Formats: sequence, C-alpha cells, structure tokens
Amino acid sequence: MSTTVHKKPPETRRYRAPAPLGGRRNPAIGQRRKNFQALAFLLPALVVLGAFTAWPMFSALRLSFTDASGFGKEEWVGFENYTRIFTDPVIINAVVNTALYALLFTPTAVALALALALLLNDPRLPFRGFFRTALFLPFIISLAVAAIAWAYLIDPQVGLLNYWLGNAGIRIGNVLQDPVLAMPAVAFVAVWKSFGFYMVIFLAGLQEIPGTLYEAARVDGAGPWTRFRHVTMPMLSNTTAFVLIFALIAALQAFDQIYVMTGGGPYGHTETVVMQIYTSGFRKLDVGFASALSYVLLAATLLLSVIQFVFFGKREREGD
Amino acid sequence: MSTTLHPQLASRSTGTGTRSTKRSALNRALVVALLALATAVILLPIAIIAFTAFKPAAEVNAFPPTLIPGQWTLDNFARIFQELPFARLIANSFIFAGGVTLFALLFDSLAAYALARIDFTGKKILLIAIIASLMIPFQATLVPVYQLASELGWVNTFAALIVPRAADAFGIFFLRQFFLSLPRDLDNAARIDGASEWRVYWNIVLPNAMPAVLTLGVFVFVNNWNDLLWPLIFTTDREMGTLTSGLTLLTGPGGIVPYGVMMAGALVAILPLAAIFMFVQRRFIESVATTGLK
Amino acid sequence: MNRSLTLLTAVAAASLVLTSCSGAGAGSGNKEGSKAELTFWHGYTEADGKVLNKIVEDFNASQSEVSIKVQTNPWSVIDDTLLPALSSGNGPDIVAMPAERLPVYADKGAFVELDDLYKDPNSNLDKLVPAAADMETVNGHKYGVPSGFVPLAMFYNKDLFAKAGITTPPATWDQWIAAAKKLTVDANGDGTPEQFGLGLPDHATVANGVWPSLFYGNGGDIVKDGKAVVDSPENAETLKTWVDAIRNDKISPTGLDGIAGDKLFSSGKAAMYLGGPWMSSIAKENNINYGIAAVPAGPKDQAASAIGVSMAIIEQKDDSKAAAAQKFFSYFLQKEQATAWSLGSGWPPLRSDIPAADVAANPVVEALTKQSGFGRPLLPGVVNSTDTLTAVDKLTQRAVAGESIQDLLSETQASIQKILDAK
Repeated sequence: MSTTVHKKPPETRRYRAPAPLGGRRNPAIGQRRKNFQALAFLLPALVVLGAFTAWPMFSALRLSFTDASGFGKEEWVGFENYTRIFTDPVIINAVVNTALYALLFTPTAVALALALALLLNDPRLPFRGFFRTALFLPFIISLAVAAIAWAYLIDPQVGLLNYWLGNAGIRIGNVLQDPVLAMPAVAFVAVWKSFGFYMVIFLAGLQEIPGTLYEAARVDGAGPWTRFRHVTMPMLSNTTAFVLIFALIAALQAFDQIYVMTGGGPYGHTETVVMQIYTSGFRKLDVGFASALSYVLLAATLLLSVIQFVFFGKREREGD
Repeated sequence: MSTTLHPQLASRSTGTGTRSTKRSALNRALVVALLALATAVILLPIAIIAFTAFKPAAEVNAFPPTLIPGQWTLDNFARIFQELPFARLIANSFIFAGGVTLFALLFDSLAAYALARIDFTGKKILLIAIIASLMIPFQATLVPVYQLASELGWVNTFAALIVPRAADAFGIFFLRQFFLSLPRDLDNAARIDGASEWRVYWNIVLPNAMPAVLTLGVFVFVNNWNDLLWPLIFTTDREMGTLTSGLTLLTGPGGIVPYGVMMAGALVAILPLAAIFMFVQRRFIESVATTGLK
Repeated sequence: MNRSLTLLTAVAAASLVLTSCSGAGAGSGNKEGSKAELTFWHGYTEADGKVLNKIVEDFNASQSEVSIKVQTNPWSVIDDTLLPALSSGNGPDIVAMPAERLPVYADKGAFVELDDLYKDPNSNLDKLVPAAADMETVNGHKYGVPSGFVPLAMFYNKDLFAKAGITTPPATWDQWIAAAKKLTVDANGDGTPEQFGLGLPDHATVANGVWPSLFYGNGGDIVKDGKAVVDSPENAETLKTWVDAIRNDKISPTGLDGIAGDKLFSSGKAAMYLGGPWMSSIAKENNINYGIAAVPAGPKDQAASAIGVSMAIIEQKDDSKAAAAQKFFSYFLQKEQATAWSLGSGWPPLRSDIPAADVAANPVVEALTKQSGFGRPLLPGVVNSTDTLTAVDKLTQRAVAGESIQDLLSETQASIQKILDAK
C-alpha cells in the first residue's frame, strides 16, 4: 500500500535523518529505548498471542511426536506420525486436492475481486454504491450457511437453480457428486463468500494511486490496457501480494463448506488436508497425527507464501 | 506521500473527445448490465435464505421448487423464539463478537503501530512469526487452547470466548500494512514537537487509519458472530451460548436442522450484521472507496 | 508510556470482570455433602429430549445420593465438544453418542468398563435386546449401555403405491425391485425419471446402514470377528443386483446421500425409502401419506442395520461418580422407564420383555418394535469405524458409478483389513 515507486528513497532518508527518538549520544541507548517503546505497544497482543496461539502451537508440535489421543496417556513415537503422512495414500490424495483447491480458489477470488474493484472504482458508474454493498453482502454470511444455501439451490432433485437451468435446457446434473465438478463447486462457494472482502482491500489500494500517474500515461498515449499493465498493476503490487498471501492461507485451510456440502466426497475427491486434520483429531482421536499433519501444512504454506512473496512482492515493501 | 488525489480522478476523462465519451457511456451501460446480472446471481443464495425462512415445511422440499413461498408462514421464526432463550443468546452474541472486536482492534492496532513505526530489534522475525501463526489450522490448536482456558477456570465464561481472540495475527498484519501507507510527515512533525509515541499513535495514526480499523472491525465482528464451533466448545452451558451455536439446538429428526428453521435462524443472525454493516457503511465502504484505507 | 500502562491495567481489569461474570460453573465439580453431582450430555433435541430429561428428573427425585444435570449437545457436534472436554477433565460424567462412535473412545481409555454391571442381576442389563447389548462390546469388554436401538425400516408413499396399483409393501427383494421398477416414472422419456421407485443412497446413507442391510440380506457382512469379510461372492451378488437396478432400471437416482434421500422421499419424488423412526415425522410434516414396513427379506436373510445410541461413563479419578452413574443406568432400564422412554422417543423398547402391544399407544413405535428382531448393530467393536465406513461408502458409490465390482471389493477388503490391523 505504501510505495510510490519514484519518491520513496529520499523520503525514507529524510525520516531517518533527524533521529528524533533520542539517539543523540549513544546509538545503542537509542535502540534500547526504541525496543522498550515497541514492547509497550506490543505487549497486550504478545501476551494474548503468546498464551493462546504460540503456546498451543508449541503444544501441538510436542504432540506431533506422540501417539496422543488428547486425553489419557501418550507415548513418544519420534517421527512416526510424519512418516505416516508421507506414505498414506489418503493423505497424499488430500494434499493433491488441497493444491487443486488452492489453484482454483486463490486466482479466481483475487482476480474477481480485482476486476470488480476496478469496475467499481469508476466514479461515473451508475448505482456504484448499490453494487458495492450488494457485492459485499455474501461476506457477512457464514460459510457453513452459504454452503447449505448453495447446496439447496443446486440439489439435483429439488434445487431451484437446477430446476431453472433445466427449464432453460441446461443440465448441470449432480454437481456435488461429480468427481470432476465437486471441487470447483466447493471452491466456487468460498469465492462467492470471500471476494467481497478482497474487493474492498483492492478498492482501498486503488485510491492510493495518484491520478497524476494516469494523466502522464495518457499524455504518453497509453490505452486502458497499457495503463492497467504499467500503472495500476505495479502500484497495486503490495496490495496484491497481501491479498494473495491471505487468500492462499485461507485456501490451504479449506474446510467449512466442504464439510457441509460434500463431506470430502465423492469418494475422496474433495478431501482436503484440514478435513483430514479434523477427522484424525476429532473422529479418530489421533491427535498426535493431526498435529503432525498441521505442521506439515504450516511448512508447506510458509514455503508457498515465501515463493509468492518473492514473486509478486519484489518491490520495496518495508516502509522504513 | 501517496495521499488522496481525488481531483485527478474526476478530471481523468477531460481532454478526450466526444466520440470516446459516447463510447465509454456505452461501455458503462454494458458494465452496469453485466454487474446487474452478476449481482443477481450473487444475491440468489441470500434470496433463497430469506424466502425459505417464510416457507412452511411442506413447501421447502416441494417439487417443482419455487423461490417465493406460496404460503407465507412465521412458524419457523416462532420455533426459534419459543424454543431458544433468544434474548439471552443474542445478547451473548453481541458481548462475544463485540468484545472480541473491541479488544482486537485495540491490541492489533497497538502492535501494528510498533511494527510500522518503531525500529526495534527482532522486528522482521516477529513479523514472520506473526504471519506464520496464521498458517496452522485452528483445528490443530483447539485442544491446547481449551486446556489452557480450562485451567484458568474460564470454561462457560465470556473470558474463554473473548480473551483468546483479543488479538489476532491477521489484524496486526492488516493494520500494519495500512499504517505503513500513512504519510510520515505528520507524525514526524508531531515527534519534533515533542509528542510521545503513544500520542502519535492515538492522535495521528489511529484517526487517520479509521477506515482500515473499521474494515478490520467488520471482518472480526462478522467472523466471530458467525463462528459456530468456538462458542459450542467453550460454553457447555446453553445459557452461555451464542445465536449461531444456539441454533444447533433446533436440530430436528435425523440430526438435521429443518431447512425452514435453519434459514429463519440464518436470516435472524444476518439481520444484526446487515444493520451494523449499513451503519458503518458510510464510513466504511464509502470512505474506503473514495479516500483509501487511511 | 503511563497511558499505555493505565490502558493495560484497564484491560486486565476488564478481563477479570469478564471472568467473574460467568454463567454457572462447569457443572460437575461441586459436592454437596456426600451427594454425587453428575453431568449428562446427550443429543436428544426434540420431544425425545424432554422425555429423557423427565426420566432424569424422576431419577433425581427417586433417591437422595445422586443428582444428574442434563446438558443438550446435538449429535452432530458431540465429537467436537467431547474431545476438548476430555482433554482437560472438564467434560460430562455420562455421555450419549451414536453407537458406532463408542469403540474409539473406549479403546483410548475414555470410558469406564462395565463388565460387572452387566453381570449384576439387579442392573436390568440382562433384559436388554441382545443385539443392542452387542453394540457395547469393545476388545471383549462392555463400555456402554444402549439408549436407543432401532433397525432401519422401509417407509413407503401410500398414494404413489395406490396410483401404481400396488396394494401391499414388498416383502422380498424380488418383489421390492419389481415394485420399484413399477413405481419409477419417466413421463417425458428423457431418461431421467421424475419419480423414483426407491431412494437408495449410495454414500453417507441413513446412519450408514443402508448397504450393510442389503449385504446382510444376502448373507454377507463387512467385518466379522475382527476380520474384513467384505469381499465375498454374496456381497458381489448384492452389489450387482442393486447397481443394475439403479443404473439400468433407474429405480433410484445416483449420487444420493442420506440427507438428499430424506428430501427425495419427503418431496414425493421417491415411492420407497429406508429410514429411521424420524422419517415418520418428516413425512407427516411434508404431508406424505406414508406406511412403514420392514426392510424386505433378502435371498438369505431378513436383517437390517440398526441405528444405535450408547451411553457411557467417563473414566475419572472419582470412582463414586461411576457408581452413581451406574445407578442411573439401572433405573433407566426399569420396565416402567424403558416403556416411557420408548413411547416418548419413538424408538422401540430396549428391553426384550416389553412386547409391541405395550407400546401400541404409538403406532409407529409398535410397527418398529415388531421389526426389532431384524436389527443388527453396525460394526460393533470396530475401533476405527470412521475409516471403515468411509471405505464402504467409497465402495458403494464407485460401484453405483459403474466401476468393476470385483476390483472394488478386493480393494475395499484390503483397505478395511489394513484399518482393522492398524490398532
């Protein structure tokens, strides 16, 4: 969101130069003071995150090396859970499905959000306020309820959408039980639910692009596509990187609508990693294994995020 | 830097010829038509929720299906209001979602401020750790979180519902991004005038970041309001449940909540959210759209 | 910085207030003299829940040593809430759950072993319907007491039967398939019937019991004495018969699951359906003129998979609670309470000495009680029922989708055996 490509460096330097925060004599003392100030600001969040995120994460890490059921006794099993993950065809299938889901969900949601943000950014567009509100509305509905409503609409026997399409001569069949179509269908419901939020973030990002840049591009004879390619996209790269990473994290944790709509079916075609984590932990009481699988997911997400970050966020991003 | 420059936005079309103006008017009509179609499809599930809520049971699964109820009924709502301690549940929902939102906005923005404005040792590592903490699914940490809340004696209290979520990594990262985009000239000037970091945060950065804070507020509030598993697990006492978790008690024969009742419940749950959304809409979407998130 | 500190203090204070303005405590802890206070989680959310709560109240009033507090926890979320509760010793003392969920908890040591209670002649447990008691055996020991046991029954649409000129519900597979064909109507000839003879889900069936019921009918099974027996000529024949009827005669839609099946029957688009006792109230709500019959007899046997609910006692340090809970079980299974529970829940009596005539006040219960003898527990004692049922679902769904039955059976056999061997 920050970045304006040209003028950043001088400004950054201008900020640092006065060193108003007490770096007058000894820079080490200044740094200590900054650390102390930062700690004061960070403390409440760190206490909460430390107790209710970091500690449970360490706890899960420990459990991932045991055969814990969540209660009763547990025994250290070393890397057994991890080896099981990489040899179990059910898990491998879930990993492949999750990758497929992420490939379906992430680009679609982000591209749709960006496209609609660009359209809705035009101040001359009629009914702009209505469209903005209407398109954001799915976001306030829980994914589980949305899944139920969509499943009801496309029910092959009594579904309204299916019936209307059937009358129009379009047969969509039993989408949720189709090995090929089920995954796109559950990904679609998540796109439906979440694009509105991403759209708002893009809209915000768009406001930060100085109009002068477009003017300059216009003077140079750039058409709409060139302006998009050479002004909008570079200027939005930070926003895009941000949205992409969070969309990817959400995609790799797909669960709610799949649990409701297909339960992982038809025969495993929409089974995802988090579905397996849930089943292993809460159904099979194999909490150790579920924890190990969670850490494998964490590692994979981290790796993909780094790749994405490097790829889309090459430009300067730290404001300081 | 990169402040709002609306005048330019408006002046974008000046200087182009009438022909292209006409063409762009046609394009816009096309865009509106397309958007209207997309919006209709997008709103269809919401319409089915709203209308099914008023359908008698026999009509819900009738064939051929209809959108509008042939016979309108309030039975589905009556079941919710009669069989659930409704006032209590909705109050709980507000305390839970509202409490989490207030705490999270405060704690997240404080942390985000430090991450955006103060150069401290280990900042990069902390930032990476915060993002990484989002990458573990909550299903994996639920049991340890519960154990901790239980040891603190918080089960069946608002503390268990609210405190573990009083700060969240997404919010911190989200706000940090927007704080970074705020011009530093203002806060530097304040610092030179002797303002403390707290004053810069409270008087300069936070007010300027209000739209971003409200955006995050809507995000946090909606997610917690709609959360089913969290209140179910942390409150076994049904008087402590939320609207979303309470609706599971209407589970009907065969372990399924009847569709009409479920949709009525969904509608009742959406309404406060929609109201809040409309309320903050002017500051929220409108300000976001015209001034950016800052 | 002072302000930050003030703020922090305020927040800390607020948290304290939040902590103290709680509702009631976790429930099970407080002792009042020597009286045992127990918490009981169950998922009976309807009229049945009220009857059960009444029985618990009566029990509380009937003696002075034990007091039970009931908390409703719907079946669909009981696993989600039970594991965290168990992990911190904060859970209920008695829990009711779908019977096929009991073995995994029992195997992990969550439940109190009840062998002695079953041997006690005063516990009323010797009066249980034997098949219902079989649900509770895990690794050779008893861990639960049934609170529900009912075989799947066939619900049929009397109006559609009359329209097709069928007067009596089918009693054998041959009659069943013949009737289903007759009741399948494709008026516009587009290859997709508008009305199906039967709603036969091919996965996630009602209480996972539809295909096991069909397997039993031809003398087959899934797991027997801890061994996978799914790959048998009997099961191959069963699958062939029904897959043929679904794929070629289109008596049922493909890709149906239990919930969609319920909808199909209640929308009047399916003439017959295998369901649980609740189908009668769903059918009534949807104005379906329905009848109940037993699942038609297969070539070798008449049997139906039963929907079961088990109650178990959570293992904990305090032995007195386990003893107190056992008192409740014995009370619950007294003849008077068992009859009241049967009538109130709409499920057949759990005691074999209560004849159908005693529950004639509720005709649905009476009809179901007459079928009680056909009931067979689903995968009794199979610890990993989750994966086993997934394997069976995969088998039936892929078979109905047209894959080679023999290949599927041997694949399923291997995977179920692997699941059973894993622990």
